[in-house]
Amino acid sequence: MQLNPSEISDLIKKKIENFDLSAEAHTEGTVVSVTDGIVRVHGLSEAMQGEMLEFPGNTFGMALNLERDSVGVVILGSYQHITEGDTVKCTGKILEVPVGEALLGRVVDALGNPIDGKGAIDTTETAPIEKIAPGVIARQSVDQPVQLGLKSIDAMIPVGRGQRELIIGDRQTGKTAIAIDAIINQKGTGIKCIYVAIGQKRSSIANVVRKLEEHGAMAHTIIVAASASESAALQFIAPYTGCSMGEFFRDRGEDALIIYDDLTKQAWAYRQVSLLLRRPPGREAYPGDVFYLHSRLLERASRINAAEVEKLTGGRVKGKTGSLTALPIIETQGGDVSAFVPTNVISITDGQIFLESNLFNSGIRPAVNAGLSVSRVGGAAQTKIIKKLGGGTRLDLAQYRELAAFAQFASDLDESTRKQIERGQRVTELMKQNQYSPMSVAQMAVSLFAANEGFLDSIEVNKVLDFEAALQLYMKSEQSELMSNINATGDFSNEISSGIRTAIETFINTHSW
Amino acid sequence: MSEQATLARPYAAAVFKRAKETDTTATWSQSLAFMSVVLKNEDISVVIDNPKVNKERLSALMLDICQEHINEENENFLKLLVHNNRLMLLPTIAKLFEAYKAEDEGYIEVEVFTAYALSKEAKQNFTATLEKTLGKKILMNVAVDKSLIGGVLVRAGDRVIDGSIKGRLQHMQKALQ
Repeated sequence: MQLNPSEISDLIKKKIENFDLSAEAHTEGTVVSVTDGIVRVHGLSEAMQGEMLEFPGNTFGMALNLERDSVGVVILGSYQHITEGDTVKCTGKILEVPVGEALLGRVVDALGNPIDGKGAIDTTETAPIEKIAPGVIARQSVDQPVQLGLKSIDAMIPVGRGQRELIIGDRQTGKTAIAIDAIINQKGTGIKCIYVAIGQKRSSIANVVRKLEEHGAMAHTIIVAASASESAALQFIAPYTGCSMGEFFRDRGEDALIIYDDLTKQAWAYRQVSLLLRRPPGREAYPGDVFYLHSRLLERASRINAAEVEKLTGGRVKGKTGSLTALPIIETQGGDVSAFVPTNVISITDGQIFLESNLFNSGIRPAVNAGLSVSRVGGAAQTKIIKKLGGGTRLDLAQYRELAAFAQFASDLDESTRKQIERGQRVTELMKQNQYSPMSVAQMAVSLFAANEGFLDSIEVNKVLDFEAALQLYMKSEQSELMSNINATGDFSNEISSGIRTAIETFINTHSW
Repeated sequence: MSEQATLARPYAAAVFKRAKETDTTATWSQSLAFMSVVLKNEDISVVIDNPKVNKERLSALMLDICQEHINEENENFLKLLVHNNRLMLLPTIAKLFEAYKAEDEGYIEVEVFTAYALSKEAKQNFTATLEKTLGKKILMNVAVDKSLIGGVLVRAGDRVIDGSIKGRLQHMQKALQ
């Protein structure tokens, strides 16, 4: 038998010494009915909304409906052993989960229990899962970038630290792929990542974990998993759990990135819980507070100023701002963004990355629709060089979209229209990027520069990606000084501009692709 | 159960108000208790559930059984319950009535479980302390429960004060986990 670290006799002795021996006063109630994870409890006149309640067999529930003679409770976990007449105790606490650095690299369930078989999590700190978002005074505007490492997103739909950027699209359009690339690209940036999987297959979650491990990205990542086989209550609270774990880093002046994959399933789980609690159904049978469900969650993703960080850490961290960036994911049905939950989340977030299945199927991956995707605050956070070079890309693509319908009459079109169409085709091609291969700022800058300055115009459309790959290889081996210079500062000066230009010209003259 | 309480509450409130007006809470309490006991009888509940027994016969039967224990107002109340098909609510009404009465008179019913029987003196001391902590007069029922091992467990409505050895051991078990 294995000895548990908590069984060391000194520790036990200390625990017994500090054990509080005063008589325990609490309120009790009795279970009246148990239906699909929802328990009605008689009594418990002093229960609070959202309070944790203790059932026999070390099971906990959360009080959601406070009625005149009874309390409606969701059981967190299995409820098979709970029967009518069981006693239920108030704990006087809101549901709390473990938080801290020790969670990095771990896979936990919605209650913060490890499920990766790597033993207990070495942290003493806990945080309530429901917290009020930082106030107006505590906040600071978004002005630092989170590089997702994807050309099409970083150039056209930039995300800043503390922003909420929605990833929306049908099934099989690469929503999770973007999220995983974003996590991989945070390696070495100091941004801690939290990936919350809600209502997904266990096999998909295992896949994500394996991919992150392969790319060395687990060390800075926490995975919170409430798989499809877990109860609706756990799927409903999982995002709040992840958020509390992210807030731990934000409140200590660090930066964190949280991905909710996906909030549609969380809304489904909440709908199930609400209907079983007999709350009145509204549009699409969702309860009345489904907007608040998401708004209170996403409002907690924010950037807080140095004064707030200093206050929250008791003066230990000075002069550092903290941020929690959220990338919620919403799955649409048949491209319908006007359904209830998608419209809600679109209105809450600071922009959306819109993925389309026909783009995906025609081989444009990531399948970002550049016309419908926006970032309302990210522009202020973009690196100077990407901002300067990405502006042209956006314009080229917009003009191309207008003219694309005429592309088949190319021979009858005037010179400038034909040029625009050709430029658009090449830029569209250039925006393609393989999965698990995020790019640095310098790499992106070189690619965008080549497109902007017309270096691609003389290259066949189907050769653009080969050209880019060869160019990147050349830049990496021959121009590493220039590249690291760009990565370090992110500025765009005449010197850098001419540096890139001569490098590309040399490459074109001396290399083939 | 909770739905029953919702249905029974207006009846209980009305009965209590009337009892206060006529200053007959004690007699009402007794007759409600008696009627509840009658309703718990299996034969009676069979009769109530039988659709062949009409309302007149049912109220005549109930009045016949209870005649010695009820006055005119109780009789009217019984008839009203039969008329509204709410006879089965009577036990709940009686319970709520007692709750209203207790609140009005400012006392609280307390169940006390001890591992060993309390001496008279200890009981008095204990009552005084409890009255102080709960801020109300108490009506104490003491029972002996050997499984507590030692100490006392107090149950006042929803509130439970657990000072028993058993409770502490359970508490400790959780703390050490």
